[in-house]
Amino acid sequence: MTTSLSPRTHGIDAAPSSALGPIPFARLVRVEWAKATDTRAARWLLALVALSTAGVMLVPVLAPTSFDQTYASYLGVAAVGVAILLPVVAILLLTGEWSQRSVMTTFTQEPRRIRVLNAKLVVSMVLGGGGAVFGGVVTAAGLGLASASGRALEANLTVGAITGYMLFVLLNVLAGVALGALLQSSATAIAACFALPAAFALLGTASTLVSDWIDMNTTWNWVLENDWAGHVPQISFSIVFWVGVPLAAGFVRTTRRDVT
Amino acid sequence: MITTTALTKSYKKVPVVRDVSLRCEPGTITGFLGANGAGKSTTLKMIVGLVRPDRGTATIDGRPFVELPNPTRVVGTLLDASAMHPGRSGRATLTIAARLAGVHTRRVEHLLDLVGIADAAEKRVGTYSLGMRQRLGIAQALVGEPGALILDEPANGLDPEGIAWMRTLLRDFADRGGTVLLSSHLLHEVQATADHLVVISGGAVVAAGRLDDLLASSTILVRSPDPGALAAALRAARIDYVAGPGDALTVDVSGGRVTTEVLAGVARDHQVLLTELRQSEANGLEQLFFSLTAAKAAPLQEAAA
Repeated sequence: MTTSLSPRTHGIDAAPSSALGPIPFARLVRVEWAKATDTRAARWLLALVALSTAGVMLVPVLAPTSFDQTYASYLGVAAVGVAILLPVVAILLLTGEWSQRSVMTTFTQEPRRIRVLNAKLVVSMVLGGGGAVFGGVVTAAGLGLASASGRALEANLTVGAITGYMLFVLLNVLAGVALGALLQSSATAIAACFALPAAFALLGTASTLVSDWIDMNTTWNWVLENDWAGHVPQISFSIVFWVGVPLAAGFVRTTRRDVT
Repeated sequence: MITTTALTKSYKKVPVVRDVSLRCEPGTITGFLGANGAGKSTTLKMIVGLVRPDRGTATIDGRPFVELPNPTRVVGTLLDASAMHPGRSGRATLTIAARLAGVHTRRVEHLLDLVGIADAAEKRVGTYSLGMRQRLGIAQALVGEPGALILDEPANGLDPEGIAWMRTLLRDFADRGGTVLLSSHLLHEVQATADHLVVISGGAVVAAGRLDDLLASSTILVRSPDPGALAAALRAARIDYVAGPGDALTVDVSGGRVTTEVLAGVARDHQVLLTELRQSEANGLEQLFFSLTAAKAAPLQEAAA
C-alpha cells in the first residue's frame, strides 16, 4: 500500500512523457465540462433552463392572437427563453470556483490561469450551442402544437434567421462569461447580469445613443431578427461593450488576483 | 527540492511576509512553525503561485511553480481542505484531480483506500468532517505521484489516530526521497513530525535549522563532591560557569567549544571527582517557540546546521 507514496514512480500510471508535458487543452476542457455538469446544483440549473424555455414557448401557443404565428417569431421566443437563464449557468461556471474556493486547487493544477479561463469559455460555448439546439427542438414542438390546433403558420425560417438566433444565444452566454470572469463573485455577477441590461434599457429611453449602441435589448434583437442592414457598427460596438471589454478585463484580473 | 529566496509580500502596505528564505531538501520533512497570522499560509501560497510576491523567488526542483508544465506531477499541495466543492463526492473530487494530472483513474480507488475514506467515497464532500476533508486533501495532493508535498496545517481536524497515520505517511514519503514542507501552529505536532524546522514570526524567519540542533541544550550540568575544586579547575581551563542548580555547576557550551568530553578531561587533569556530567535538560521546543515568537521583530538566528 505504501508503494503509491514512492515519489517519481510510474507503476500503473501514465507514461512519464505525460508527466513532463503540459496538460493538453482538450483535457482541460473535458475536466471543466465535468465540473460544470457533475453536481446536483448544476443539473438542477440546467433543468431549470430547459423548463423555462419550454415554459415561455407556451405563450405563443396559448395566446395566438397576441403573437405573430410565424416560425421565426416562435424561434425568437425560444431564444429569449434560453437567454434568460443560460447566462447564469455561464456565470456560475466562472465564479463558482471562487465562491467554493476550489480555484486554489484548479490554479495549482494549472497555474497558467488563462488556459483554465479559455477552457471554461469553450465549455460555455458548448453549453450555449446545446442550449440553442434545445431551443430549436422546443420551437419545433411549439410549432407542432400550434399547427395541431389548426393554425396556419408562416414558414419563414431562413439560414440567416437561424444563424441570427444562434448568435443571439451565444452572445448572451458570452456576456455572462464576461461578467463572471470580471466580477468573480456569483451573487454580484448574477445581479449585474440582470440589472445592467435593464439599467441601460432605461437609459436608452432617454437617449437614442444608448439605445442604438449599448442597449442589448435593441442591438442584439437586430441580431436575433437577422436585421443587420445599417446596424453592423452598433451591433459590433455593443458586443465590444458587453463582451469584449469585460472579458479582457476579467482575464487580466483573473491572472493577477491573489488567491487567499 | 523546494527553495525560496527573500520572499516578501505586503497587503495594503502592511508587511505580511518579509524576506523569507527556505530550503527543503529531498528526504526531509521541514516543519514551518508559527503562530496564526505569522505569514505561513501566504508564504506557501507564494511558493505555488497563488499569491504574487512583491519581491523574492520560489522554485520547485529549480523551476518557478508557474513554469511547471503539469505541477501536480512534481509537487502535491494541500492548502485548504475546506476549499472543495461541497456538492461533489469524494471520489468525483479525486477523479477530477486525477484526470487533470493525467494519471489513471485506478489510482483514485487506491488513494481512497490509502487515506481511509473509501467507505465515504460516494458521499458528498459537504457531509464530510474536517478530518475526512484533510484525508481527501492528502489523497488529492498525492494523486500525481509527486516528489514533493506542500501542506498547510495538515493535522487540523484529524483525530489522534489520524495524526499518527499522517506522520507515518509523511515519514515514509520522505524516507523514499520525497521533500515535505508542512506548516503548523502546534509545537508538539512539528516536533513529532519534522526533522527540519523553520520558525516564522511577524512574517520573518526567526529560527531555522535541524530540529535536533534547535532543541539541543546549550548548557552542561556538572557536579562534584568538591564544588570549590571543580570551580577552580574550570577557571584554570578558562571555561565559563554559573553556580547551581543546587551544588552543581552549569557550564555554557560556548558554541560547541565545550563538550562533556572536554569537561571530563579538565576534571581528570585537575584530579577532581565528578559525580554527574550531562547535558542540561533540553528546554524544549515550546520555550524556544514562545521565546522566538514573542519577540515580533527578533533578528534572524541561524542554528548551526
